Amino acid sequence: MQHTFSSPDGPIEVTLGKDDGAFALAGHRAILIGDGRLRVTLGDGRIMFGHVAKVGDVWWVALGGHTYRWERMEAGASAGGNEGGLIAPMPGKVLQVLVKVGHTVEAGQALMVLEAMKMEHRIVAPSDGIVTMIHFADGDQVEQGASLLEIEAESE
Amino acid sequence: MIAKVLVANRGEIACRILRACQEAEIETVAVCAPNDLESMFVEMADEVVVLRGDSIGETYLDHTQIIQAALDTGAHAIHPGFGFLSERADVARAVVDAGLVWVGPRAEAIEQMGDKMTARQTMRKAGVPVIPGEEVESIDEDQAMLELEEASTRVGYPLLLKASSGGGGKGMRAVTNPSEFHEAARAARREAVAAFGDGRIYIERLLSGSKHVEIQVLADSHGTTIHLGERECSVQRRHQKVFEEAPCATLTPELRDAMGDAAVAAAEAVAYEGAGTVEFLLAPSGEFFFLEMNTRIQVEHPVTELVTGVDIVREQLRIASGAPMSCGPLNLRGHAIEVRLYAEDAANNFLPAIGPLAVFQPPQGPGIRLDTGVREGDDVTPNYDPMLAKLIVWAPSRVEALQRMRRALDEFVILGTTTNIRFLRELCDVQAVIEGTTTTTTIDDTWPNGWQPSENQSIEEASLLMAAMGETLGLHRVHRTGGEVSGSTGPPSPFATLQRRYP
Repeated sequence: MQHTFSSPDGPIEVTLGKDDGAFALAGHRAILIGDGRLRVTLGDGRIMFGHVAKVGDVWWVALGGHTYRWERMEAGASAGGNEGGLIAPMPGKVLQVLVKVGHTVEAGQALMVLEAMKMEHRIVAPSDGIVTMIHFADGDQVEQGASLLEIEAESE
Repeated sequence: MIAKVLVANRGEIACRILRACQEAEIETVAVCAPNDLESMFVEMADEVVVLRGDSIGETYLDHTQIIQAALDTGAHAIHPGFGFLSERADVARAVVDAGLVWVGPRAEAIEQMGDKMTARQTMRKAGVPVIPGEEVESIDEDQAMLELEEASTRVGYPLLLKASSGGGGKGMRAVTNPSEFHEAARAARREAVAAFGDGRIYIERLLSGSKHVEIQVLADSHGTTIHLGERECSVQRRHQKVFEEAPCATLTPELRDAMGDAAVAAAEAVAYEGAGTVEFLLAPSGEFFFLEMNTRIQVEHPVTELVTGVDIVREQLRIASGAPMSCGPLNLRGHAIEVRLYAEDAANNFLPAIGPLAVFQPPQGPGIRLDTGVREGDDVTPNYDPMLAKLIVWAPSRVEALQRMRRALDEFVILGTTTNIRFLRELCDVQAVIEGTTTTTTIDDTWPNGWQPSENQSIEEASLLMAAMGETLGLHRVHRTGGEVSGSTGPPSPFATLQRRYP
């Protein structure tokens, strides 16, 4: 019963244990009480009730007023990052491209203006670098998750 | 006499109005875009007319089609809700010209207040204090930019650029540094043109450390204009309110009377009829300045309803039918707080989020009111506003109201779409919120580098345990995504078999 989930810090491997009819991990125990509801006994003895639901490959978990998203990864898959790429956070329209291929940009510099839900969103450079690719032009529609442009970090 | 109302809106406010009509034994007609046919509000109406068209402009903003729907279904009145057509004077006029009742103020009052620059001038004349600033009337882009630039030096920094036709933070920009002025003004104009088709903007002095305090007014056609006390809505992110309460924790009875009188004077200056809200900035000095008047029902009206006992939407219907309002003298009782639940990623600059509401389980129990237009199984799409619900609590005191809000937010479970629930919950623990000393910059002051959820290692570990268990046990809770059914089909939604009432 081993599963791998992705996290911002890299893949997390989870191996569930069995403890007197309950599943166990890191000193915490949980049992299913029906319809996506679980009773959790934390390592310190606190008992909580939580919910899980799966959407696509993502497990959504609600527990103790917190919500977590854990994306399931096939065993052995890489973290699948998007190095240097800038991703459309929402479906929307490109209002303005503020840079050209070959431009040197600084971290925090505005690169593109998107419009989604009637609000403008500025796409800013995550780090210093050079624009190597621009995938969209003014007026283009973009899907959520589309790679907008690419920046190569400047080598020292 | 109004016996049948068409509700020209969608989502939670459409539900709110449809419920009020049903309670008042008024028949209802909903209008909806084709992509809203399965939305909750449609099922609350006695009849529905599906509007032709794809975009918002072709549907909810097409007043010709909506007025025709009212005439075809024999409705007597149109309630516009908020947003969409609600502050369109030309639509109010077209509705009346078609022989129907507009549930809202006369077109002239909407015009005088709707154009923010005209409103500032009208208020100055009526003796209501306005924020120091300048209006720029030029339409031509280059001329307007030139005049704005000149005006900016007279108004001084920091300043606020606002769209004359604006609202909801659209076309608004704060500028602290003259070097940022040009780009900010162009962006504000662009956003204003896109959202309102009117790029005129004006400049106001940015009064930092101020509270946003607004007064609810009601006026009927029998010459009565009253106020229902204040709401404090200082806590805003990107100029959009997220946490509202009544009464304001720091307002003295004297100041309440003074602001109430000013709000009534503002309403009377435009011969206002119906429900409206006069927004003020309250400076630390105790001076207050007119911001704008919203000539419609407001998102945060429930907090006023809970502390005054007045059903504002019901009064709107009463006033529109020509009857006198039913309110007695103002009698504030207890404390109410509203938070706005958005589908958004609060940890990522509040970016709107989309997805299925795989689990949507609101809190229950004493003192809780939930105004929503969604239910479990619905999809949050990018087509409309990302507000999912308003959670409102009432309690005898402010301290207890905040405690109740914390409890309610802890109970609220939404899975499948990223929401701001955790942000709202942690907002309840911010010192300024606890003390009632919030200002319009509280969120930015509290989290200057953006908000991140507090970490809790053992709960996070346990959540991994739960996800892994879900995977091991194959707990595929059923939900729809984008019209497709994933997993096996579950039990039918209770709404799928809803019986419509045809009296």
